Amino acid sequence: MVLYNALTNKMLVDEIVDAHVLVIGSGGAGVRAAIEASRYGSVVLASKTIAGKGGCTTMAEGGFNAVLRDLDSIEVHREDTLSGGAYLNDPALVDVLVREAPERLRDLVRWGAVFDVTDDHEVAQRPFGGQRFPRTCYAGDRTGHEMIMTLLDRLDATDTQIYNEATVVDLAKDENGAVAGAIALDREGRGILFRSDATVLATGGGTQCYDISTNSAAGTGDGFAMAYRAGAELIDMEMVQFHPTGAVYPYDARGRLVTEAVRGEGGLLINAQHERFMKRYDPERMELSTRDLVARAIATEVLEGRGTKHGGVYLDVTHLPAERIETRLPVMLEQFLAFGVDIRKEPMEVAPTAHHIMGGLRITPECRTTIPGLFACGEVTGGVHGANRLGGNALADTQVFGKRAGEFAGKSPERRGRVDEDWIKAELRMLDDFFEGAISPAAVKKDLKLTMWNQAGIFRNSPDLATALTSVRRLADRRLFAASTANIPECCTVRNMCTTASLIVRCALLRPENRGAHVKNDIDVVTWEPGKSPYGHTYVSLEREGIEEREVAA
Amino acid sequence: MKDITLRVSRYDPAVDAEPHLEEYTVQVNEGARVLHALHAVHDNHDPTLAYRYCCGSGQCGSCAVRVNGTPALACMEEARDGMTVEPLDLPVLKDLMVDMGPVIAKIARICPAPDAGLPAKEEIEAIKPLRDCIECLSCVSVCPALQVTEFAGPTVLRQEMRLTLDPRDSGDRITDAIEKGLFYCTTCRRCLEVCPKEINIPGKAIEKLREIANRRGLTLPRHQEVAKLVQDTGRSVAWTQPTFLEQVPEVIEPDGPVRGEVGFFVGCMFNGRVPQTALDAMEVMKRNGIRVIIPHDQVCCGSPLIRTGQTSIIDDLRRKNIEAFASRGIDTVMTICAGCGATLKNDYETPFAVKDVTEVLMDYGIELPSKLDIRATYHDPCHLLRGQGISEEPRIFLREAVREFVEMPSQCCGAGGGVRSGVPEEAKALGAKRDAAVKETGADVVVTICPFCEFHIAECTDVPVKNLVTILLEGYRKKDAERDSA
Repeated sequence: MVLYNALTNKMLVDEIVDAHVLVIGSGGAGVRAAIEASRYGSVVLASKTIAGKGGCTTMAEGGFNAVLRDLDSIEVHREDTLSGGAYLNDPALVDVLVREAPERLRDLVRWGAVFDVTDDHEVAQRPFGGQRFPRTCYAGDRTGHEMIMTLLDRLDATDTQIYNEATVVDLAKDENGAVAGAIALDREGRGILFRSDATVLATGGGTQCYDISTNSAAGTGDGFAMAYRAGAELIDMEMVQFHPTGAVYPYDARGRLVTEAVRGEGGLLINAQHERFMKRYDPERMELSTRDLVARAIATEVLEGRGTKHGGVYLDVTHLPAERIETRLPVMLEQFLAFGVDIRKEPMEVAPTAHHIMGGLRITPECRTTIPGLFACGEVTGGVHGANRLGGNALADTQVFGKRAGEFAGKSPERRGRVDEDWIKAELRMLDDFFEGAISPAAVKKDLKLTMWNQAGIFRNSPDLATALTSVRRLADRRLFAASTANIPECCTVRNMCTTASLIVRCALLRPENRGAHVKNDIDVVTWEPGKSPYGHTYVSLEREGIEEREVAA
Repeated sequence: MKDITLRVSRYDPAVDAEPHLEEYTVQVNEGARVLHALHAVHDNHDPTLAYRYCCGSGQCGSCAVRVNGTPALACMEEARDGMTVEPLDLPVLKDLMVDMGPVIAKIARICPAPDAGLPAKEEIEAIKPLRDCIECLSCVSVCPALQVTEFAGPTVLRQEMRLTLDPRDSGDRITDAIEKGLFYCTTCRRCLEVCPKEINIPGKAIEKLREIANRRGLTLPRHQEVAKLVQDTGRSVAWTQPTFLEQVPEVIEPDGPVRGEVGFFVGCMFNGRVPQTALDAMEVMKRNGIRVIIPHDQVCCGSPLIRTGQTSIIDDLRRKNIEAFASRGIDTVMTICAGCGATLKNDYETPFAVKDVTEVLMDYGIELPSKLDIRATYHDPCHLLRGQGISEEPRIFLREAVREFVEMPSQCCGAGGGVRSGVPEEAKALGAKRDAAVKETGADVVVTICPFCEFHIAECTDVPVKNLVTILLEGYRKKDAERDSA
């Protein structure tokens, strides 16, 4: 096929790769999808980073929720998840999550994962917020790292071809409008065209568009943006989880995740007036309330002047035996020691940090998106976690839906259409334009992150959101400049961050109620009893946007 | 905000013949890490700077670089004014980005048996210390064995042990480990020193793998000979001349008043191969008022056996040695052999304190010798520097004892871990690197404290190699001669 082939310094596709299934993303969901898809045909996995080093699974600390004990039940896990999600979750997806999580955990154990084990020779579980049973399985506080290492071992046993440090720029479609692959850039900025019968989007989340975030540098919302541009519908993008406990200093470490396992192991939240303030917000569950509630409690304490001088509250484990901290929370201990705080002897200082996007691509239980040929799994999808995700449900989500996406993509029929050459030309021209840009992507990114944190953060209001939308759109219109071909992926990433931010703000403007993580200080905003809200998902696509209304039993 | 200046290695293989350092002055926040300084260079000076990073919290292993020559995770290491940031010592793709793929590809994958079940708690606990690796490849970039052999790298061997410990794995990891260079490791512990997760690969992987290899009869023949020697004679070195213990009484009284008392653990090299150095040390002790008690029933510390995985008779050696000193009521046992010292400190549980000769001399304080009219450099014995954490004491004495002291980059000489006997060509190649480093300093004498290093380096260079105690003694003799002639 003839590809765009023009004057020197123009982008062109150097490599064409064909596969039955293309998986985009190398976190827990992507790798799990590739493992499963490889049972049905050839698989190519495109990873923006070196596989295993990118994504947020590697960084996930706390654990994996799965019902494993007789005293626990699928029904209780289901109810905890729905109630934690303020009943905005898609019940069919929740059913799948809680039913299949135990078997997906057992897959990992079979494949060699080193989860902690009890004296009774069972996978150990710890309590996490918003759950009535301690069902969070863990490997110390490096659970996600353990999972990704295990998954990569397993992936290695398949014929999956991995493209490391290949940044997917856009999804490619055929003349019928079905996704037929994607166009990517390698480390040097050289083009690669992937052609596939089915494509799995597993690009993770995007809270890097906030100034303070727990996400890895790869959490830039690329999948939300690419799918949106390709015409897919996204839901509930306003639902951004602010993790209650992120580091607050030094400045550059702000937002770094302090795992919920710290509270699971008995950590106490205390304000600058030595008060265990959670008793005023959720006297029953205290520190182990749901994340949305704890995050707002901490933010309120700080806003009302009861915070520390660094703008946080204390999270204290000094009452726990040192040995327990060393074995259960080794990563926390090590990270804080690196910044001069020995958590065995002094409290941590923490404040909320943007952590997880509950919203994302609308999917069916078979992980089908609203456009043919495109499957999605993991954080890039919406509906599983509703308006607030329970700690420990994300890692479970990656495995349950990763497997499903791989399976149903693998079972897809052969593609009949052809990738549109004009589209490729236009795409390469778009990339070329970055050489003619005017502003550095770093400058736009900085501006965007502050806008989102200040105007679309934990507490929102309609005027601020409207201003944010104007600002984000203005930033999205700036012409980004690439200093070399190797800088083009960075331009694409910042473009995706702007798109993701605009989707969040647009959906936030669409929801007229307080629900889960979405709270507005507007005078006319309504808060319903959980489960009684007449509203369903917000939705947004190239073609339409709005909010679903639903019948609620009186 | 504050300004800092840093130098960053820049290299684009498409246009540069070799890497060069570029200097940048950037604004960073208080407490900023190296990574944030690199971001500042990228954002405000040169967007084409190539460097890897991802999690920003020390968990993904993407961002390891050399900061002032030492590997560190850029996201965890504090940015300092004047620092130099270079890529790890691995093939460089561009600027600070190295080719990690080929090494990662050597790290073994688990092959679970089809009927694999959940490991028991003890099994999980045994695996965990080897499981924290984030594959940053810092260890691989500094490993001396890798420079001169086909050794696959510390973390690659770590993984072999992790899999050996896992009942689910069905692979033959010992055979794999030997193929990947199990016997090439000198146990210098440089990998442990640079590991951001502090994984003790020599102790918890290499020596353990060698132990299992030993049980399967796969120990190198030369190492087996050493074990036989220890079993037959209680010594790991055959003696060629009257031994140290044959030449000394059980107690050596000082010349003047007694200022202190130590037991002396001689070690096989000093006893049988280089007794003169130990005799020199006794002179230094006498002169400084330190009574030395030398139990003649002491035996080999077991180091050559532990390092090579031949541990079946270790308990017996341990018991004999502890009893030899404990039964004489000795509080402090002095070693001059870095290998013995590290073994007594790390592989024994002793009812007495163990101190290197430099620690003993530092504790009591010594009479200053006359400065020898030489330029000397110092070779850090691995088992002193990393095995015992001693680097400053020898230098303090040396600066007092010679006209000029020059530093030399620290690296294993190749004698340790059974490599000198088991893989002599590797030991020779590493020794040759020491020779080159010594020549670079222009020193008249190489000073060290370990008899293994001393003996091995002396074979690899024409520059004289001496123990620190010999230098001190020569200084005292010079002082005496000066006084006599005055």
